[in-house]
Amino acid sequence: MSALLEVSGVSKTFDGFKAIDNLSFSINEPELRAIIGPNGAGKTTFMDLVTGKTRPDSGTIRYGELSRDLTRMSEARIARAGIGRKFQKPTVFEAQSVEENLTMALAAPRAPLTVLWRRNRARDRAAELAERVGLAAHLGRQAGTLSHGQKQWLEIGMLLAQDPRLLLVDEPAAGMTSAERERTTEMLVEAAKSHAVVVIEHDMEFVRRLDCRVSVLHEGRLLAEGTLDHVCADPRVIDVYLGRPEEEAAHA
Amino acid sequence: MTLIRLIAALCLLALPVTAQEGAVQTVLQTHAADIAEPSRRTIQPVLDDLAASGLPAMPAFLEAWADRGVVQRDADGLFFFGERDGDVYILRSIEDGSDAGTVGRRDADQLRPNAGVRRLIATALVQFQLNDPDPDRRRAALDALTRNPTPDLLAPLRASIEGEEDRAIRQRKEALDRLITIRFGEDRTTRLAAIFWMADQVSLEARAALNAVLTTDTFVGQPPEDANVARSLQVGTDITPDQALALLAAEGILPEDVTRADRDAALVAAIDGDSVAGVPVSSLNTEDARWAAYATLAENGAARPRPPVNAVEILLAANPIVEIYDEPDAAITAAAAEALTQVEARVARAQAADLGLDALSLASIYFLAAIGLAITFGVMGVINMAHGEFIMIGAYTGYVVQLFVPDYTLSLIIALPLAFCTAAAAGVALERLVIRHLAHRPLETLLATFGISVALQQIFKNIFGTQAVPLTSPDWLAGAWTLNDVVGISYIRIAIFILALLFLALLVYILRRTRLGLEVRAVTQNPGMAASLGIDPDRVGMATFALGSGIAGVAGVAIGLFAQVTSEMGASYIVQSFMTVVVGGVGSVFGTLAGAGLIGGLQKGIEWLNPSNTLAAQTYMILFIILFIQFRPRGIVAQKGRFAQ
Amino acid sequence: MSDASPSLVRKYSGGAGAGPRSGPLILRPDVLIFLITLAALTIGATFLAEAGLISTAFVKTLGKTLCLCLAALAMDLVWGYTGILSLGHFAFFGIGGYAIGMWLMWDRTEGIVLDTLSRGPLPPTALEIEEQIGTQIFGVVGSSEVPWLWAFAGSLPIQLAFAVLVPGLIALIFGWLAFRSRVAGVYLSILTQAGTLALSLWLFQNDSGLRGNNGLSGLQNIPGLTDVPQSTLSLWFLWASAAALALAYLAAAWMVSGRFGSVLRGIRDDEARVRFLGYEVEHYKLAIFTVTAMACGIAGALYYPQAGIVNPAEIAPIASIYLAVWVAIGGRGRLYGAVIGAAVVSLASSWFTGGGAPDIELGFYTIQWTDWWLVLLGLSFVLVTLFAPKGLGGLVDLYTDRRAAKRNADLGPDAGALRKEEDA
Repeated sequence: MSALLEVSGVSKTFDGFKAIDNLSFSINEPELRAIIGPNGAGKTTFMDLVTGKTRPDSGTIRYGELSRDLTRMSEARIARAGIGRKFQKPTVFEAQSVEENLTMALAAPRAPLTVLWRRNRARDRAAELAERVGLAAHLGRQAGTLSHGQKQWLEIGMLLAQDPRLLLVDEPAAGMTSAERERTTEMLVEAAKSHAVVVIEHDMEFVRRLDCRVSVLHEGRLLAEGTLDHVCADPRVIDVYLGRPEEEAAHA
Repeated sequence: MTLIRLIAALCLLALPVTAQEGAVQTVLQTHAADIAEPSRRTIQPVLDDLAASGLPAMPAFLEAWADRGVVQRDADGLFFFGERDGDVYILRSIEDGSDAGTVGRRDADQLRPNAGVRRLIATALVQFQLNDPDPDRRRAALDALTRNPTPDLLAPLRASIEGEEDRAIRQRKEALDRLITIRFGEDRTTRLAAIFWMADQVSLEARAALNAVLTTDTFVGQPPEDANVARSLQVGTDITPDQALALLAAEGILPEDVTRADRDAALVAAIDGDSVAGVPVSSLNTEDARWAAYATLAENGAARPRPPVNAVEILLAANPIVEIYDEPDAAITAAAAEALTQVEARVARAQAADLGLDALSLASIYFLAAIGLAITFGVMGVINMAHGEFIMIGAYTGYVVQLFVPDYTLSLIIALPLAFCTAAAAGVALERLVIRHLAHRPLETLLATFGISVALQQIFKNIFGTQAVPLTSPDWLAGAWTLNDVVGISYIRIAIFILALLFLALLVYILRRTRLGLEVRAVTQNPGMAASLGIDPDRVGMATFALGSGIAGVAGVAIGLFAQVTSEMGASYIVQSFMTVVVGGVGSVFGTLAGAGLIGGLQKGIEWLNPSNTLAAQTYMILFIILFIQFRPRGIVAQKGRFAQ
Repeated sequence: MSDASPSLVRKYSGGAGAGPRSGPLILRPDVLIFLITLAALTIGATFLAEAGLISTAFVKTLGKTLCLCLAALAMDLVWGYTGILSLGHFAFFGIGGYAIGMWLMWDRTEGIVLDTLSRGPLPPTALEIEEQIGTQIFGVVGSSEVPWLWAFAGSLPIQLAFAVLVPGLIALIFGWLAFRSRVAGVYLSILTQAGTLALSLWLFQNDSGLRGNNGLSGLQNIPGLTDVPQSTLSLWFLWASAAALALAYLAAAWMVSGRFGSVLRGIRDDEARVRFLGYEVEHYKLAIFTVTAMACGIAGALYYPQAGIVNPAEIAPIASIYLAVWVAIGGRGRLYGAVIGAAVVSLASSWFTGGGAPDIELGFYTIQWTDWWLVLLGLSFVLVTLFAPKGLGGLVDLYTDRRAAKRNADLGPDAGALRKEEDA
């Protein structure tokens, strides 16, 4: 089984600051992977690189059976190729209803003319997704009026609606109640049965519950990779990172 | 000839001199007949003789003569200055202007030299003027000579150089000597020497002199053997077929083409009932049909036939069109052409330098107008559409100051800081009342400040009227610094350049060396982080707005000194200012400098390529900028960093 | 942020149909009310004009206002919905006017020239006619050559097509260049303004081939309809303008409903997020920019025959900014807002500047509205931006709020933000 995403030797410098330094990373389909690391380790920049928001200075990012080079594709094309992203801060269209948000995300042709002319409402699919993320009762509500947790759910719903092959999820549990966290965990594990899922998380408890391979990032480099227990035993990881999880978990 | 004159002069000296017959009168009497009835053909030797006398009173006579102010008394044939007064002439002595009584109108003749003679007299006068004790008169004589150089003045000009004491005038005389020598020098060697000397000049006169040697006549037909042919004109490359046709026709070599008007006139004249030349009139609604009908008329002899289609080629083969130099000596023309090439190359370099100065001055203006905008745009991320009105406020402040302080230097000294303060106050008011409430909504800020801009313009129009008001610069700023005939720049523009430099230095100092600068840079680069470090963004915003608007006010005074002060003056700079900021790169002083330099240079450059049309220059410049943004969307000096993306 | 109260939730879920998704487009309340109002106004004006109660000039003002409303509608689509503050859309309006004006001038001049020439002894040739027309039209700029721009001026269908296609093509090229390099926000505004300035400066030249600052004039005389009095013509144009506005309103309402509208508003509020959903934002922007430019071209082609003259001053950047001002005052992000804004401000403007408003005596100073109207407009515009960002359309919300849930007309974050808030 070949990797779905193959990041090799990627570097990115901002104003002399090495955000990503010769990073290599790969993920299969299906697989669930957690990326952890202290602040400024380059986790978000990594996502930016994969989704095309930022272009690397060097290195390649290959995706899919055809090994397409993502560094040459626009954000929209990368998204259409099957890479979905959930942002750290919930990013939904606050001026639009939950249904509109979901409908926009639904996998469907995205060329302007097609969108304009073909008006299959897809209300059933939107409703079904809302059901999955527990927003069935809020379909007509404006997204801006949702609670923080509901917005997180909506964004996860939008991610699912895209039906991507690779899901990049940035701190999905932030701002959620513990019950909501549980559901999030379930949903991610469920999704990882048929998709490749990358979760970026601070919260070690949450990562432990995901029960998956973990990659540790530090100063833009891959420090260690393996099960959570394996990486936790790595002295380098303990050096740079593990002094802090208790404290992190406490305030999360 | 000279010998004869000398003998004549000696004879004259021997003659008894009566009381009223001074030296001038004596000389005049020798040529009495020619002077009384001058003709263009005969007067020259007489004038030469008069000039050779070197008498100090001679110029006065010559002037009066040319002005018809000289009479000859019939009784004794003596010449006097004479002024007609009723039936008599009031006479004054030709020697010293002393009163010499009157004479009846019929007893004396007024001398009336014709135009040709008057010109010759004027030339003779120049010789006197060249040695006049008054430097202004000498300069005037040189001016006259430059305008209308004649070979006969070469000798007196050279003679006058020796005694010239004023250095500048002496230089001019020497230069003029060479200019005249080029055209009218005695022999080839001296002329060539003058031409070679001229190759080092850039003056307009030098170019005119060389061009004068190179004047040509267009000649149709085989040129004469000894003609100094400049070039033969090729139809299509050097002249258009139409011009060739016209030249041939002018020489009578080609019968004139039949114009459409001629044709139609002939057709109309030949209308016979419903038809012309056998075809119905109604069918003549195409050009081809009309020509066909005309051809028929021509065949019948009722009209002039058209020349054959290839007539031009045939005739041109037999009658080449050439340009022939008026100057017969080929060596001279070749040297002059060579020298002219050198002069023109030098002139082109000087023009480039002049263009550079122009561009620099325009860039300074744009820099002053735009830097305030760049600061506010860079720090606050907002576009202030009313920025142009701050420029206007500055200019009107200067105007109001001049109403109260009549001394222009003093008023300028007061106006500059006052304009800064007025505009800065307006800027702070705008920031506090409007912009702060629209934080993070730059498009709405743009429109709201536009509303302010419209209102301010109209308010100033209502107060000060629609007419432009004057903002007068002090005398010491009025002149221009002239390097040579080509390169020159007015003092106002130099002052603006210096002002721009001052503000550049001031801003760099403020941004690099002061606490405010540190905070401004922090807010520009990362507002969120700056705020978390305890920098009060409101205070920084206000300070930058005061600074940016204040500079706009100063720019207003500067612009008002050379442009018109109207309520719309700001609006005419606002788009260029935006361009400057966008091209330069937002939030950078040096970016704005680079942007101003690029836009100023570009505008002047395009104007130079297409000098007739400033409007087109602006159009092309804007199109260029739109394309430029394609390649450097962040401007010349791009802000770096993760957050600038 | 806390959970919304249950009652609110109920209201929202119950009010889902209030959005732009219920029933046929034409039966939606805002569309229906708009169309009925427009029809009533047009018919009413016709009756009043026939009865001689309103002047021909006023009918023309109404017709022109409807054209301005159409342009404002386009501006609302491109700015209010998609977040592109174009400061150049009035240039497209002007281009539409020039395109139709060229035919009007040419055809009318041709008629006159033919009349003159046909009295001559010879039947006129094509060359003579062209020369005569050239002298008549371009004599004012010291030329008699017919510029290449006028190659098709004799053909109404081609010039009509130009009125739509030339703005479209310019918008397409300009938009492609600008959007491709991700020029957005105030940068784009300035760039469009500069482009507009370039166009108007070019038109100001005598050798642009469009009569320099003289512009095209006498456009109110429609060739072939010289026997129809202006009073009738003005009504025809009023009807044509109303029909165009009605169709444009329907088309716009159709566009902003459904997923396409969602994407547009998404681009306005968070362009990057729309990209990550797989939509090519640039294509959408380009499409809306081009389509609205064409709509402005149509509006201009209807406007200038009623105005009678089009000149480069009409295209000056300030006109385009006024277009944005109308939309902002009316309330952007809602179609009727744009129409209300354009109608109210342009009618008020002609009332104030036309001397209709009474002077105000202050004792020491008399406020004459011809002088002070612009001050009032500028300041009221600032006040609207500051205190009533929803514009006049916000008044509608006051009414509907009382009846039902708040409409989803929130303006959302400003798409033009230069610096996005840091993601962290």
